[in-house]
Amino acid sequence: MRPTSNKTLSSIISSQPIRGISDYFSINRKIERAIINNEILYDKSINIAILSSFTINGIKETLRVQCGEFGVLTNFYVGGYNQYAQEILEPQSGLYKFNPVLVIIFIDTRAITGDSFFLPYELSNDERQDWIEDKVNEIVSLAKVVSERSLAKVILHNFEVPAYSPLGLIESKQEIGFIESIEIINQNIREQFKRNNQVFIFDYNAFCSYVGKQNVIDYKMYYLADVRVNPQYIPHLCKAYTGYIRAIASLTKKCIVLDLDNILWGGVVGEDGIEGIALGPTPDGRPFLEFQKYLLSFFYRGVILAINSKNNPADVIEVLREHPYMLLRERHFAAMRINWDDKVANMKSLAKEINIGLDSLVFIDDEQVNREIMREFLPEVTVVDMPKDPALYARTLMELDIFHSINITEEDKHKGSMYEDDKKRRDLLQSTNDLTEYLRQLDITVLIEEANTRTIPRISQLTQKTNQFNMTTRRYTEQEITQFVNSNNCRVVSVQVSDKFGNNGLTGLAIIEKMDKRIWRIDTFLLSCRIIGRKVEDTLLAYIVDEAKKEGAELLHGEFIISKKNKPADDFYSKSGFTKIHHCGELEVWEYDLMNNYPFPDFIEVIIK
Amino acid sequence: MIKQYNENIKKLLAILSKILDIDENIITDETSPRNTETWDSFNALMIVSELENTFNIHFTMDEVTAVTCVGDIKEALKRHGIDMDSNKE
Repeated sequence: MRPTSNKTLSSIISSQPIRGISDYFSINRKIERAIINNEILYDKSINIAILSSFTINGIKETLRVQCGEFGVLTNFYVGGYNQYAQEILEPQSGLYKFNPVLVIIFIDTRAITGDSFFLPYELSNDERQDWIEDKVNEIVSLAKVVSERSLAKVILHNFEVPAYSPLGLIESKQEIGFIESIEIINQNIREQFKRNNQVFIFDYNAFCSYVGKQNVIDYKMYYLADVRVNPQYIPHLCKAYTGYIRAIASLTKKCIVLDLDNILWGGVVGEDGIEGIALGPTPDGRPFLEFQKYLLSFFYRGVILAINSKNNPADVIEVLREHPYMLLRERHFAAMRINWDDKVANMKSLAKEINIGLDSLVFIDDEQVNREIMREFLPEVTVVDMPKDPALYARTLMELDIFHSINITEEDKHKGSMYEDDKKRRDLLQSTNDLTEYLRQLDITVLIEEANTRTIPRISQLTQKTNQFNMTTRRYTEQEITQFVNSNNCRVVSVQVSDKFGNNGLTGLAIIEKMDKRIWRIDTFLLSCRIIGRKVEDTLLAYIVDEAKKEGAELLHGEFIISKKNKPADDFYSKSGFTKIHHCGELEVWEYDLMNNYPFPDFIEVIIK
Repeated sequence: MIKQYNENIKKLLAILSKILDIDENIITDETSPRNTETWDSFNALMIVSELENTFNIHFTMDEVTAVTCVGDIKEALKRHGIDMDSNKE
């Protein structure tokens, strides 16, 4: 699901400013026309189905434009008016024929309460108890049916908790109150899907609170056409959905690159000194203190932090080490550029040092001119429009929905500290001159494991994201990986790498097809850039050679497809004793005679699970 | 005579053009659901929503259902104090 490289999409979107929902409508039409006229070329688009209990117009138009903003094309299937149950329960329904990647189930409170919305106390407590159970079962089973019949991710809305009760002040004195009953339903459906990797609860109640429950419904629209979301809030709702879509398309951002003066603290350290900057429990210092708290929470969830600042390094290091209220310390930053060079050059060298693409970077700077220059020269970098008032910094960060991951893998949880470990590794490398000696000192352990339901999301994520050490750059969805795993003539093998500085998690894999008794074909072979150069690739290849021999194969075929980014992988097969036997277009086939042995590197401990 | 549209009329025409997918230049007071294919009941509500948002006003349900053409919209806007005179500098 690579974003389209075609410029047409972005030029259509930037052709008019977006002020209201009518702009989404007209831009959407331009996109639709361009698609019909074949003016937009793309590899893949994302199929999104919307099922709702009421008139849901406006979402597909808005969402198509918002997804286009980050280069993703979308197709929509909108279920019939209040037809959600039939769509889900009928195996041959349009929903399943559409083959969605994402299904949004939006059933609203009025739909499940019916007349009880106004006359909830017609039910006795016992009846209300039964009603709660019925509704939870109904909603949970609908979402489960979708997840069983398709491989789509499901966004299941929870229910808006009414702000009104016919009993007024004594609502909270009821054994099971009306408002309470909706809260219980919300709790129960959330509980049901906590361990489900496919169904995600969308906290629509929180969304309504955020935009305002009195605003979210426009009664006139509701009575005239059963519209239950005020059209003016459709863009906000869609924005929330884009967080999921970015995650599904593996377009989430990985790293926040921060300016320092008037971003992490108030004032200019070079002029005001460490005592003069605003940071701490004072009115002018708290916005920066809390902004740092949010950044720290991003660090802990796996977002990488880096610095790009025009300053004297000594001034900054003093603040990082000595300032009593500085929450972010040197160890939180995977890399730092504190100098008087231009920020664009710094940005490029940061990306290189951290070893991630420019399109994974988010730039935060208080000066508009710096932001404009970054946009101009490095359009791949996401530039955040920071508000003038530092009081709004934390909120701006909270509202960014570009870091979401739909599969919080173990690797994601530990990412922040993994990059910290990496910095220690680089320091060791600088102090050790001999590479083999360095690798030996790392005490590397490689755990090799066949793919399973726990690792499939991460495996798919790696095929989507890995560009450099990737022999064929074939992108696979979770669905496709699952098919390989279930197939008798395929093997999907992953490696997890750890060393004395920490655990890198699942960072390499191979997909092998047994062509026949004699020949095994390596369809995919990749390593995350973080572990390139530690002989992990040799370990994985040695394992494949061993396994192929065990099953009596005679030849191993490794495929290589050149891409713009996989230079680090291009001599791997030739270095490893393979011979090129075939070259057709971009595809090279390399052969290894399994009469030969392929040794495991002696300094790596290998565990086969 | 060159028509000098005022800002409010420009805003109205922009909204109609974007939602109904028609050129601003062909919109007249007589433009209506009968002669405009894209003016369906849903787009009618979108027009209402965008007008309310743009001019910071609220129509009643009766006002919405009474509209039969662009001329009616202008009249409704005028009743809410929005200046709709065209030939103004």
